[in-house]
Formats: sequence, structure tokens, C-alpha cells
Amino acid sequence: MEDREIAIDVKDLRISYRCLKAFSIRRSLLHLKKSKTEIYEAVRGVSFQVPKGEILGMVGKNGSGKSTMLRAIAGIFSPDSGEIDLHGNTVSLLSIGVGFQKGLTGRENILLSGMLLGFSQEQVREKMDEIIAFAGLGKFIDMPVKTYSSGMHSKLAFSITAVLESDIMLIDEVLSVGDARFKKKSSRKMRQLISDKDRTVVIVSHNSETLRKLCTSLIWLHDGEIRMMGETKEVLKAYEEFMS
Amino acid sequence: MRFLRDLRKYWDYTKQSAKAELKAEVASSYLNWLWWILDPLLFMMVYTFISEVVFGRGGKFFPAFVLIGLTIWNFFNRIVQGSVKLVKKNSAIVSKVYLPKFILIIQKIMVNGVKMFISFILIIFLMIFLRVPVTYNILFIIPILLELLIISFGIGNLMLHFGVFVEDLQNVMKVVMKLVFYMSGVFYSITDRVPAPYNELMMVFNPSAFLMSSARKCMIYGETPDLKVLLIWGIVGVLISVIALKVVYKYENSYVKVI
Repeated sequence: MEDREIAIDVKDLRISYRCLKAFSIRRSLLHLKKSKTEIYEAVRGVSFQVPKGEILGMVGKNGSGKSTMLRAIAGIFSPDSGEIDLHGNTVSLLSIGVGFQKGLTGRENILLSGMLLGFSQEQVREKMDEIIAFAGLGKFIDMPVKTYSSGMHSKLAFSITAVLESDIMLIDEVLSVGDARFKKKSSRKMRQLISDKDRTVVIVSHNSETLRKLCTSLIWLHDGEIRMMGETKEVLKAYEEFMS
Repeated sequence: MRFLRDLRKYWDYTKQSAKAELKAEVASSYLNWLWWILDPLLFMMVYTFISEVVFGRGGKFFPAFVLIGLTIWNFFNRIVQGSVKLVKKNSAIVSKVYLPKFILIIQKIMVNGVKMFISFILIIFLMIFLRVPVTYNILFIIPILLELLIISFGIGNLMLHFGVFVEDLQNVMKVVMKLVFYMSGVFYSITDRVPAPYNELMMVFNPSAFLMSSARKCMIYGETPDLKVLLIWGIVGVLISVIALKVVYKYENSYVKVI
């Protein structure tokens, strides 16, 4: 890799789901014997670096730890061991059905989501019109989110993260949002965002076509470990051979 | 301290979120904000009716007595019970972006604080209506409310934490809080109605009973509350909050893995 600024630095990352199952008092009274604590390691000692401006793709079969890793990078999970250093970059996770408070209107949700992404109230208000215009929800923007269809839901979610640009974008299978018209619009916006030289992007997808088109390099995760890392073409070829 | 830093960072968000929640509540009910007045007022009437007419035992300034009790109880109860499922209720947000989890409690405190404020305005009107004589002791209401806030925050954080892992905590808390409600003397005076050594114990060991009776003492009876107990509960409240915050900070990132 050339000598470029590193945006994401992941060192020996391990994440496991351990004895964290919610338990009920009734159940634990009925089974006084301590149930075995199950440990499931979703990510097992993964290290990699992503230089600034790079578009990294992640492939792997279901349950290989891709989404877990994205969430860890977004700071939603803490790793059990290892380190994630984002070098002070802002990060946003873009995934199907971003979280909204269902009783509030679209407009209020834009403000709240924006503030949660680390923007100030003024910054979000400034971009508010742009977000609303991009989402194209018409009068629904002032209705509670619970009245939205799932397509409208994801349109709004996409618009928020797309217009409020963060340094690092994490994308979880989102390249097909809304109806045909919005899909076109969103993939154009996405391409524009992704191609920004200062933006670092990590994409998780099962769609080889998108990955081939967008990514500069690829990581193949298998059972929580890196099986292969390198140029898109080579990794994708090996992965496709493995999967078929 | 991380707590203060996070509080500053997310203060604006918390405020907006509380405002939005209050607004949504208003928009979704027919009588909207009138409920914030009607709810304490009607319940005050119910309990006053039951005590004075059915059991034939009231007391001096009884409606104000009940309304103060109810106001403090409602705040405490809503924070404690509301915190149990708070993470799950906000799972949509919590699983998409990092948010210090105690912020959820602060937001709840703000929402219920507004309601409590309205309730206090009602109390003042009621006191004027009943011609309650007021003394400087009324100023003690400030440390009392502050303490209520700290204790609710601490217990709320503990509930938030255990509510994630213990599925049926909600059922348990429903019963526990019902018991605490009847033990707090919302619509009867513990000191007068409970026989000797027990009334003292009930008063000292139950923060909601103690805060309620202290608020009544300073607001309608012109007395100074028990300052020693007030101080002790203040310290205990801060201790609970610090411990609860530590626990929540330590485990908050694994909450998402459970829900």
C-alpha cells in the first residue's frame, strides 16, 4: 500500500457474544442448575488498515462476522479485545432501516438522527431542506414515522446519512433503496459520495457486481477470520469459486 | 469526568428529544396537554374522595397533601418503571449509533420534569385556594426536588442495566412499585396512621415516603424537614448514581448484543 493517511485502524479485533442472553427469573428458578454459558466468537482476531479515501468491500457468507465488524467500527459494540482507531474521523453506519423514533415526525427524526451522528443543531437545520428534498416524501415529512411505508422509511434513512456527510461511511447492503426512481437517484448520490477522495467507505454486500464496480480492495471474512485480503478482482474470483 | 463530558456533548440532543416526545404526546391525544393538568388533578380527587368520604379520615389541607404526594410519586415511579425497558424501547436508535445510555434516563427525567413542574403550579394554585399559610421553610423544596432527581437518576440507571438482562424485571418492578406506593403514604399520613416504631422506619428507609413528607412539611405545614435524613439520602443518592453510572458505562456496549 502506498504511503497514505490511515483512516481506520483495526488491530487484532475480537468480538464474542457471551452469556449475554437475557434470562428470565422464572426460567432460572425452574432450572436451578446453572446453564452453560455459550460463547460465540463472531470476530476472531482480525487486523487491517484502511487508508483514507479507500473503498473497502467485505464479503463472506452469512454469519461470518461482517455486520458485527461494521457495528464495532461504528462504535455501537465494544470489542472484547483488540483495538479500533478511527483517528478522530466521524463515522456513520448506513444500513437498511435506520433507527427512528416511531411517534415523531420525519422532520423531528431528521434533527435527532443528525444530532446523534455528531452534528450540531444548526448544521442539521442548515441541511434540513436538502435532506427533505432528497427524500422526496412530500407531506409525509410532517407525519409520524409510524405511518411510513418501509420504502419511505429507508428513503428517509438514506437521505439523512447521504446528505449529512461523515468522513467514514459504513454501508450494510443498502444499495437498493425505494422504488426504481429513487434507486437511480440514490445510487448516483452514493457513487458521488463514494468517489469523494477524502471519504473512506466500507461496504458489506453479497452482490458481486456492486463490489466489482465500486471497491478498490476487498476483504473476505470466513468464520470471523480474514481468509483473503487484496485486490477486488482476485479476492472476488477466489470467493466466487469457493461459494459455488 | 466522562459523565460530564458526555452530558455536555449530548445535552442538545437530549433537550430536542425530550421536546419532540412531549410534542408527540400532545399531538396524539385528543385533549392533548390538558391531560398534564387533568391527570394529577383527577387522581387527587379520587384519593381525597376515598380517604375523606369512604374512610372518613382526612387531615389538614388534605387535597394539597394528596397532590404533593402524587406529584412526587408520579415522577419517581415513571422514571423507575420507565427505565426498565428503556433500551429495548429505543433499540432502533441504540443499535444504529452510539449513545451513552444514561442520556436516555436524562431524557426521561426532562420529560417527566416538565410534567412535574406543571403539577407544582397546580399545587400552588391549590394552596392559594385552601389558604395555606406559607413560611420560608418552603425553600427547602429545592434541595428536596434535587434529591428526588438524583435518587431517581441512580435507580433509573440500575433499572436500565438490569432491565436489559432480566427479562421479567418489568413484572417484578410492577409489584414492587405498587408496594412502595402504598408504603409511601401518598394518600394517608404515615406518622399518624402507622403504629410507633414502624412509622419511623417506613419514613426513613423509603426515599419516596421521606421526600413526600418532607415536601409536605415545608410546603403546607411550615415546618423544617429532617435535615439529617435529608443529607444522608442525598449522599446515598449520589453514591447510587455513581455506582449505577459505572455499571452502565461498563456494560452499555453489550446491551445491543442482547436485544
